[in-house]
Amino acid sequence: MPTYELALVLRQLPRPELISVIRRTAEAIFDKGGIIRKLENLGTRALPHKVSEHGVVHREGTHFTIAFDTAPTQIADLKEEFGRDIDIIRRYVFKVQEPEEHKCTLHEEMLPPAYRKDVQEIVEAAKRTQKKKYNYNSGLDYYPFQK
Amino acid sequence: MLKIGKFIAQNVAVARQQLATTSRFYSQPPQPADTSDLPIDITNPYEKDPQQCILCKHDIAPHYKNVKLLSQFQSPYTGRIYGRHITGLCKRRQEQVEQAILRAQQCLLMPGYHKDLDFLADPKLFDPERPVRPHKY
Repeated sequence: MPTYELALVLRQLPRPELISVIRRTAEAIFDKGGIIRKLENLGTRALPHKVSEHGVVHREGTHFTIAFDTAPTQIADLKEEFGRDIDIIRRYVFKVQEPEEHKCTLHEEMLPPAYRKDVQEIVEAAKRTQKKKYNYNSGLDYYPFQK
Repeated sequence: MLKIGKFIAQNVAVARQQLATTSRFYSQPPQPADTSDLPIDITNPYEKDPQQCILCKHDIAPHYKNVKLLSQFQSPYTGRIYGRHITGLCKRRQEQVEQAILRAQQCLLMPGYHKDLDFLADPKLFDPERPVRPHKY
């Protein structure tokens, strides 16, 4: 089962009600057969801009992150369920991907265009579309095509 | 036409062989007895280290929660993300930064139209006035 991360922004509520919202969300995940790995509280802070959700304008919110595992088929249902909850301002589910091992290619990108691989590929692709010119020095003593 | 060409080529090859034996055409310099100062095959010692971008040099992966780092790649005037010719990052890191900034903005952690006021005094990683290739601004 792939790992997903749910970034939640909840509206300004007193603490016991915040807890109930989190419990509802967690129970929704468990009902769909999911496992919760991590639950983080990123604190209450002013939002970068006004957000109007479910007919109410919000200027501050509480950020939470839940890392969980479920089947990919359940994600759409979960998103729809969180969308119906009035206390959740914003929900964003994304897949947790491990960072890939890669070397920095800046020295290749800083080369002049004639030496860069991607530019050379473009030039080759353009040459392929060009019509081949008949070589009169090929050794054939007749023009092989119908003029 | 083809046969005439082949005939000429064969004759030229024969002529070349005859001339090589007389060694008037192809003269070689005398071989020195001491061959110690001839060039040897080693890797270039003056080769510079491959240039690395700031994030790859310190092995930092941009994360959407690290808003302070991401704000360093944002313009303090318009709030837009600087391009690769200004930031000096490699293609992979630039894409990671852009994706992380978009994610942070969607999760309401980072503003999109301006830079967060707390991060305006952060150290500059690059000079937007001196990009690698000129920009129209």
